[in-house]
Amino acid sequence: MVDAIVAEGLSKTFNGSVKAVDGVSFSVREGEIYGFLGPNGAGKTTTLSLLTAVLGPTAGQATVDGLDVFRHPHDLKQRIGLVFQESTADQDLTGRENLELAAALFGVPLRDTPKRVDYLLSRLALSEASERLVKTYSGGMRRRLELAVGIVHSPRVLFLDEPTLGLDPQGRAGFWKIIQELRQESGMTVFLTTHYLDEADGMCDRIAIIDHGKIVATGTPSELKDRLGGDVVTVRPLGNAAALEPALKALPGVTAVTAQDGTFRVKCPGGDVLIPKIVGAATALGIPIAGISLRRPSLDEVFLEFTGREYREDEGPTATDRAVFLTRFQQSRRGIR
Amino acid sequence: MSSVRRWAALTRRELLKLARNPAAIGTSLLLPILYLVLFGQGFNFSSFLSSPYLTPDQRLALLHSNLLGAPDYFSYFSAGMVGFVAVTATLFVGANVIFDKLFGTLKRTSATPATATDIFGARLFAGSIQPVALAFLVLGLAILLGDLGLSGLHITASVSVVGAAEVVVAILLLSVMFASLFLSLGFTIEQPQTYFAVVNAINLPVLLTSAALYPWGAMPVWLQTIASYNPVTLAVWVLRINFFGDTYYTYAAWFYLLGLFAWAVGMFTVATLLTRRALAPRK
Repeated sequence: MVDAIVAEGLSKTFNGSVKAVDGVSFSVREGEIYGFLGPNGAGKTTTLSLLTAVLGPTAGQATVDGLDVFRHPHDLKQRIGLVFQESTADQDLTGRENLELAAALFGVPLRDTPKRVDYLLSRLALSEASERLVKTYSGGMRRRLELAVGIVHSPRVLFLDEPTLGLDPQGRAGFWKIIQELRQESGMTVFLTTHYLDEADGMCDRIAIIDHGKIVATGTPSELKDRLGGDVVTVRPLGNAAALEPALKALPGVTAVTAQDGTFRVKCPGGDVLIPKIVGAATALGIPIAGISLRRPSLDEVFLEFTGREYREDEGPTATDRAVFLTRFQQSRRGIR
Repeated sequence: MSSVRRWAALTRRELLKLARNPAAIGTSLLLPILYLVLFGQGFNFSSFLSSPYLTPDQRLALLHSNLLGAPDYFSYFSAGMVGFVAVTATLFVGANVIFDKLFGTLKRTSATPATATDIFGARLFAGSIQPVALAFLVLGLAILLGDLGLSGLHITASVSVVGAAEVVVAILLLSVMFASLFLSLGFTIEQPQTYFAVVNAINLPVLLTSAALYPWGAMPVWLQTIASYNPVTLAVWVLRINFFGDTYYTYAAWFYLLGLFAWAVGMFTVATLLTRRALAPRK
């Protein structure tokens, strides 16, 4: 598969001393949703600004869609879409006028512009508000318009900088549903920065965790979680079941077994596959099982593992927000309204 | 073609915003109207010369030498108001750049294939045609006041087609010059407070070192020397030559237009360079 984005030793130092990005190297495959995850000030937006030629680098190279970002910034802008974390649409223009302006600036053929604008307004549920000035739009509508402006020219690579910042869980779920669908329809590559762990977990094919300007880990969400030792299967046998511990340790794939208060915590990659084997081993030993549960490590733990500190709540959504977001997101994927 | 389309789209945006902000147009008009209706009526320089010791001919000669051929101070001063309008109406173009920076709109435009030339060109065009329109409104109002029996603009020379064209070009060049100046400030300065402080520091000295308001004959020589290089003076002279004749002027109108052109080109060049630098990827 071709790489849509390649960064090599990308660095950005401000005022000669503040290293915002420090020798970052990574690649994003075509059609992938790639997430840059990190706390505020980690270097996410600076990296995105370098990849979109908004900033010039202190060192390093980058190509996007095969183009050298720093040698051909003008050509690059034609091929990429960019959605900023704040609303940048002109508030004194209507939604339609903003889209028409963007279409003209990106060189969408004049005869195709009305059709494309109508399609995007309809696709992003803005048709009814299309003739209203943007200053009258809600936060969610502004985000959707921002996305429409970013993809008006059908870019090959879409950059999203904290695109759901400030949206409620329902708005976030709706936004990501659209991104997923657009990706499936057009096959565009999506590079996003976020500090919402649940978004990165639910949306991204691969993730890079960035902290203090350096990438500290990359991989699929599952791979990153597996690096923590995999899933944890908690087994609660009935009565004295000391004989079960060596049997559990002997099971293939098990990396650690700890006993506490009559329960066993079994660490292994692919815990769902292990559960029938655990039940089989217990049955063979004649040990009845009162309960068994599987817990996959969350990205919170991954973040803690690779950055050495807990993910701060003030940098992300509340636990309730996350729960509501995940529920809404799963419902929207299943087509439930 | 695509560059023309980008420029046209950006110009349309500027004009739509302008049309939806009548307060900005009203504010630009209000000040010159107040000057014409209040200052112009109250400060009737001609009445100072109504001494019984002067014959009508002496009085006229004195007026003409002070007002470079204009029949009265109001007529002299109302042509000068055009320079005033060019300054006050164009200062908004720079302010709009700063607000577009603050609201992220400029960042959005910079993320598109639109070049610095497209962005600057559209703002310059939209920013220059507004003062031209306002200038003619001011001149029309000044003539109308005379028709209403108040002090008004009395054009004593017969304005030829070439003369009318010279007037339009002079107003346009002055507007381009000031729009370029304020755009370069807008692209360079980040905060609106700083911008308006700098603009105020420029506006008043520019007007007070020009021949827009003062009777030329009453100005000290050193001020006349400074004023003769001031672009506002050059534009106003083109208007006055065409409205009141060229008897009191050293050069023909085209010569002053040439000086104005040099000012406009110089400021346009500086503004283009500063805009390009401001919109280039930050190092």
